Amino acid sequence: MRVLLGLAGLIGFGALLELVPRIGLVSDQYAPPTSRIAVALADQVREERFWTALADTLRTWGLGLAIAVLAGVVIGVVIGSIPVLRVATASTVEFLRPIPSVALIPLAVLLYGSTVTSTLILVVYASFWQVLVQVLHGVADVDPVARDTARSYRLGRVGTVRYLIWPTTLPYAVTGVRLAASVALILAITGELIIGSPGLGKEIAIAQASDAVPQMYALVVVTGLIGVVANLITRTAERQVLAWHPSVRQEIPS
Amino acid sequence: MRRNLAAVLFTAAVLAASACGANTGGSTAPPQTGSAPASTPSGPPDQVTVGVIPILDVAPIYLGKEKGFFSKRNIELKLELAQGGAAIVPAVISGQYQFGFSNMVSLLLAQSRSVPIKVVSNGNNSTGQDGNDFAALMVKGDSPIRTAADLAGKKVAANTLKNIVDTSVRQSVRKAGGDPASVQFVEMGFPQQPAALQSGQVDAVFVVEPFQQAVLAQGGRKIASSYVDVAPQLTIASYFASNQLIGQNPDLVKRFTEAMQESLAYADAHPDEARQIIGTYTQIAPDVIAKMTLPKWPADVNRDSVQKLADLALEDKLLEKPADVDALFL
Repeated sequence: MRVLLGLAGLIGFGALLELVPRIGLVSDQYAPPTSRIAVALADQVREERFWTALADTLRTWGLGLAIAVLAGVVIGVVIGSIPVLRVATASTVEFLRPIPSVALIPLAVLLYGSTVTSTLILVVYASFWQVLVQVLHGVADVDPVARDTARSYRLGRVGTVRYLIWPTTLPYAVTGVRLAASVALILAITGELIIGSPGLGKEIAIAQASDAVPQMYALVVVTGLIGVVANLITRTAERQVLAWHPSVRQEIPS
Repeated sequence: MRRNLAAVLFTAAVLAASACGANTGGSTAPPQTGSAPASTPSGPPDQVTVGVIPILDVAPIYLGKEKGFFSKRNIELKLELAQGGAAIVPAVISGQYQFGFSNMVSLLLAQSRSVPIKVVSNGNNSTGQDGNDFAALMVKGDSPIRTAADLAGKKVAANTLKNIVDTSVRQSVRKAGGDPASVQFVEMGFPQQPAALQSGQVDAVFVVEPFQQAVLAQGGRKIASSYVDVAPQLTIASYFASNQLIGQNPDLVKRFTEAMQESLAYADAHPDEARQIIGTYTQIAPDVIAKMTLPKWPADVNRDSVQKLADLALEDKLLEKPADVDALFL
């Protein structure tokens, strides 16, 4: 039922976008009806160039996300476990975190030109904070009684991380990864669009420079679809990783 | 034991993270082969990356690559589409690209800021035919504006301010007997201009193909061919290299220039093949490609026209002192 309703909403939205240019509310030259976008999309998927661009975007996104998650988790656990570090870095993190990644585009371009590296810097910078802040909260959430118990049992530093901090932090980290995944996609496309590194964003810019409006919208639709798929994957992964956690376990009577 | 294993895994994860970072830096490092010593035609080909923009002006280099004009001179050509001319100059200086494509006013401005670059080949020229160029100053079909002189106090869209477009449009106004200083320029990308003209956001636009066709399709009217007004057969853009590359590998630069000359001459003589290749690197619709007015592609730069452009740039205060046009060429 939910799926059906969701589909109905999507079809309704498509029909609306079909209708608005057809009855002349907006010029169909600049906002082509859904059917024309669909035809352009069907043309695109037959071209090798489209698949190369899609692969480039997915590679930039995946690589950037992987670096950000790894760095965010490791640095988050280290900073979070050492109170002195935590206090010393708090203001710096709060200063750096709100800087919009796109504001770093000129810097990235100066350093690395219009390359994938420039886009990767944006992607990593934006998604790293999502993970780091969640992990920091997670580490801070460790139950004091459990912490004292671990100390009583003389768990070493590594053991504390493995058996105490990590299980508490994991649900937070997974939320961070889910947020980071969509932020990383946004920045990957933005980077390609503005910096000009290879990928769907660059193809959108080329379609725009070619006055190929339906093709441009078709590519925009594809980026939206990637976002939907990415969200599905991270949600499924969340359920797998946190199968033991009360928030996911179904059999617990509430 | 268990504890040690965890420590090892932790260290490995940190190392992997740093290795990832190092890897991405290494794999996309700018190719250094362009500055390799000059090789004989029998040696391994020189790998050359050229920064271009996805517009019809650069059709000859795509055509020349396809025809083998570069490979027969031992150049393995890689064409990179940059977002705009502004991004290409720094990339050529840093060595990410060996050659780049840019309009002449941008190059004159770069020279005035002592950027170490030189023009090595012609790029493209206007058709020289008034009313039948690949770029035009256009108004709405029902606009009261008849000539460029009527633009006094009006809003004109230009893709970049203080560059070749506003310089040329001001020349059209001057030629028509108007006051160039009274024209108000609005910065706006070419793709937005047809819609902005239609909705009355601006009174006139200066568009290149394929947007000239878009404005014509919505009933727009040409009032001037500004590139033609600047100079007959104005050289609009050219290919350039850094002084460093020119000093280190003059042989490669010479072979590139020769290959470009052959490509330009071929494209100029075979407009149908040029149209066909435009469809491969842009997304322009086939029916628009068939209708578009193509630029001219002479093999050599029209230096008199560049001098004229430099004079106008000085008059419009884009340049602070007269440009040394001859020093810009190899």
